[in-house]
Parts: sequence; C-alpha cells; structure tokens
Amino acid sequence: MQCKRFAALTALLLACLLAGGCSAQSSEGFQVVTSFYPMYVFAQNVCAGIDGVTVTNMADRSVGCLHDYQLQTRDMATLEEASALIVNGGGMEQFMDKVFSLRTDLPVIVASEGIDMLPSDETHEHDHDDGHAHEGELLNAHVWLDPELAIVQVGNIAEGLAAADPAHAQAYRDNAAAYIQKLTALDVELTEQLAPLAGANIITFHEAFAYFARAFGLNVAGVIESEPGEDPGTREIAEMCDLVRSLGVPALFVEPQYPQRAAETIARETGAALYTLDPAVTGDGEMDSYERAMRENARVLTEALER
Amino acid sequence: MNAVYAAMDALLPFEWLHYTFMKNALLALLLITPLLGMLGTMAVDNKMAFFSDALGHSALTGVALGVVLGMESQMLSMLIFGVFWAALITFVKHHSKMSADTIISVFSSTSIALGLVVLSRGGAFAKYSNVLVGDVLSVTQGDLLALLVALLVTAACWALLFNPLMMTSVNAPLAQSRGVHAHLVEYAFTTLVAVAVMVSIRWVGVMLINSLLILPAAASRNIARNAAAYLRDSVLIALFCGVTGLILSYYLNTSAGAAIVLVAACVYFATLPLRRK
Repeated sequence: MQCKRFAALTALLLACLLAGGCSAQSSEGFQVVTSFYPMYVFAQNVCAGIDGVTVTNMADRSVGCLHDYQLQTRDMATLEEASALIVNGGGMEQFMDKVFSLRTDLPVIVASEGIDMLPSDETHEHDHDDGHAHEGELLNAHVWLDPELAIVQVGNIAEGLAAADPAHAQAYRDNAAAYIQKLTALDVELTEQLAPLAGANIITFHEAFAYFARAFGLNVAGVIESEPGEDPGTREIAEMCDLVRSLGVPALFVEPQYPQRAAETIARETGAALYTLDPAVTGDGEMDSYERAMRENARVLTEALER
Repeated sequence: MNAVYAAMDALLPFEWLHYTFMKNALLALLLITPLLGMLGTMAVDNKMAFFSDALGHSALTGVALGVVLGMESQMLSMLIFGVFWAALITFVKHHSKMSADTIISVFSSTSIALGLVVLSRGGAFAKYSNVLVGDVLSVTQGDLLALLVALLVTAACWALLFNPLMMTSVNAPLAQSRGVHAHLVEYAFTTLVAVAVMVSIRWVGVMLINSLLILPAAASRNIARNAAAYLRDSVLIALFCGVTGLILSYYLNTSAGAAIVLVAACVYFATLPLRRK
C-alpha cells in the first residue's frame, strides 16, 4: 500500500516535470532585454526594424517604478535567453544584483551612464539644508523624465547595443538619431508650452518629477513619499497641509501607479485639486508612448496651474 | 457634521485637532476601538486570537476577489469573502479531528497565498498595498457613518449573543443542556468578528488589526475581577490606546496605526504584574 502510493506520487512528479519541459522555448537572434518600461520604449525605438533583434521587457508593463519589485520566475527565464540587458541604473534595479552574479557574461548597458543624478529624498530626513545626500548616497534615478536626459539615455543605449552587437551597429545609431530628433522636438515643444508656468509651485507624491520640474523651471515645493506599503507620518501630512495652504498651491499631483490616500486626505483638508501625472513607467508598449505621456503631463500641468 | 467639528474645536482646542483629517481620524478611532475591544474579550476567552489573525489576512484575498470581478469598491468582496472564510474555517474545525491551530494555519496560508498570487500577477502589487498598511488618517465623513452603523449593529448582536457565548465559553456541556446551540452561537460570533475586522481593516491594516482586537482584551483580562469589568475595561483600554496612539503619532511623526498598537502593547505589559494568580 505504502509502496504503491509512493510510486504514484513519483510518477505524478515526473509527469509534472516533463510537462513543464515541453513548453520551454528556444529562441534565436539578438535578444535585448530591458529592465522596465521607459528603457523598453527607448530600446524599441533604437532597435526598430532591425532583422533578428527583438526587445523584451522584463517586468510587466503595468509595474511602474521598480522600487519594490521582486524577480518573478518568468523574468529569470527571459534573462536566461538574453543577449544584452538594458537597465536605467542609479539604484533603480537594486533587485537585480543577484542576477548580475548569475550571468556575469551578460553585457549590461546602463542607460544613465554619465548623468549627474540628484540626491534622493527617500531617506526621509527633513533637513535639506545642505542639499546633499549622505546616508548611503541614495540617488533619484528618475532621469528619463527630463527629455534632454532621455536623449542622453537613448544615446547610451545605442552605443551599448552597437558594442554588444557590432553587426548592426550602424542601424542602432541611425535609429537612435531619428528618435533623438523626435525627442528634441518634444523638448522644444514642452519648453515653449510650459514657459508661462515657470516658477510655479507643485506638490507631488513621489520624487519622480524632480527632473521634469528642473527641466521646465517648475518648483517642487513638497514631496510626500507614499511608497507602497509605507504609511506617511501623521505630522508629515499635517505639515504638508500647512504648506499647501501657505503657498496657495492649487493642485496636487499624484501618479497612477501609486496609492493615493495621503494625497486624497490632503486634498480634502485643503481644497486643492488632485491631478494625475504619468511618469511614463507604464503604457501600451507603442513606440511613441513616452512622447505621448510627456505631452499629456504638460497638458495636465497647464490645465491644473492655469485655473 | 459641522456641528460635531465645532464642538470638538470648542472642547478640545489642541494643535493636533486643528486639522479636519485629524478630527475624522479621532472620530473613527472612537468608533473602531470600542468595537474591536468588545469583540476582543470573547476572542481571547475562546482562544480565537489566531483565528482572527487568519481572518485579517483573508482580507487580502477579499481584495483580490474584488479586483478579479472588477468591482468598483473592494469593501463588499472583502466582507462577503471574510464571512464565507470565517464560516468555512469554523465548519472544517467542527468536522475534522485535527487541532484548531493547524486548521486555521492551513486556511491562513491559503488565503494569503491566493491573495498574493492574484494581486502580484504582473508585479503590480504596490497598488493594493493599501490593505496591508491601513491609514486611519484617510477616513472621510461617509466612512465615519458606515463605521457608526457597524458599531451599532455589532453592539446589538453582541447584546443578543453575550449570554449564550459566555455560557458556551465557560461550560459547553452546561450550555448545551440549557438549550444553547453551541455551534450556531459560534458561527454567529465568527461572522460578527469577520464583519468587524473587514469594516475596520481599511483604517488599521492587515498587519495591525489583530493586535487591536487582542491586546486591549488581554490587558483587561490582567486586571478585571469579573465578566462585566472585563468587558468595560477592554473597551476603555482600547479607547485610551486609540486616542493616545493618534496623538503620539502626530507629535512623533509616525504612522498612526503602529503607534496605537504600541501603546496597547505598553498597556498590556504594564498590567501584566497586576494579574492575579
């Protein structure tokens, strides 16, 4: 009896293993893997129309910023097949440290290479007097929200791919040049559109918009970290309410990927309106989705601040 | 509602109450803490601390269910699933020879895993982390009304259930002989706990809800000399912890829920030496 049961269980286990094995796929060509959505969109543009080069995004397109991301089984499979990996850098992909040690042969392209990053607020210390980040030197890695820095990132991606896949080097560079032209046009357009708003105070709920604000002359008067799973302190909310009132800030800007309860509390308290800004970390996967998100942000800002 | 705010301003002219959201949070705590303090006494008496913990975690699955079904607000799916889950645990407990803690553990892990699998599909768990860390500061006036109704209904059911429950927990065979249907009473009580947990979990969070249910009752048990005092002290301790924790969280700039639970833990340890052997 015991023996039979054991045999049955063993057979079941084997069947499972074999069934799993059948679905494994093989792939050919040059597989570019990106760590998250903005990198995916940039890489798509750089690799557009090149035969034998495919771009795969690791995290699902609905994930958003990767602060609390955990590698999933499927991601490991994707990485196993990868020929090159594109990451944003600056601490955005902390969860991948383990991966790098597993596949030391994988060329890693750091898109933010050479960009001077702002210090992060994430340490939560409230004395910003000296303007430097000390504790562990956390950086604010959301550089792609400044179109000029996005252009640098696209350039880095193209150069990185050209080095990793010399056969298509020229194609990568041509694609990048074409895309950079579009991004330059976007930058000019947004600068013009947002010029009347220069110096306006905005309050956001995630430090992602620091670069956007700097690029277009907006002043981030306050940031409430509402990292997932983190409760903002009671006093912090009260102080933010006072700040909103004293500056007369008409609108609070939240991000679609984050819980918005703290923002709703402050909006109710102060009567400020809630608007959504998109840090372009989720989208439909189309080539122009970064540009569309940025244009939409400019439109929302204009609408919110010109009230 | 404005009259209430005006009264609070007049009676409690403190800095921390100057904000409307703090007033709402205080009112919410004045409703939630007695509710949980009251139910906690029976949960402690009937050795159900682990059961209520499992129920709290099933909220995650309730939310997942609501998301899958595309519900606008996950409150309803949480309530329905919580009541269903509570009944299921009780049912299996009655019909299995295995010990209660094993069964509860099985159900608890199942619901956590199920909730996580559904909600983390594609890695978008961040959006729903609201449930894990509740935030009493985001209570609105409408929520207050819902909490008031929940408190009144629970108190009414409590009054009906108190004697049979008491009897069952003290001496089940005796209760049976007096015509108390012990299983029925247990189902009714677990349903009540499920409703109370689900109604307040949005404001307290999965992590902390059970502490609010168990700690005041446990502290009260340390000092109470009879059943009436036990209930009264549990409610009073719960109220005290709620208000003190909220004030502390304002001055120390911490999250409100955790501060409340810490105060409750301090009260428990302070009353521990007073316990009679």
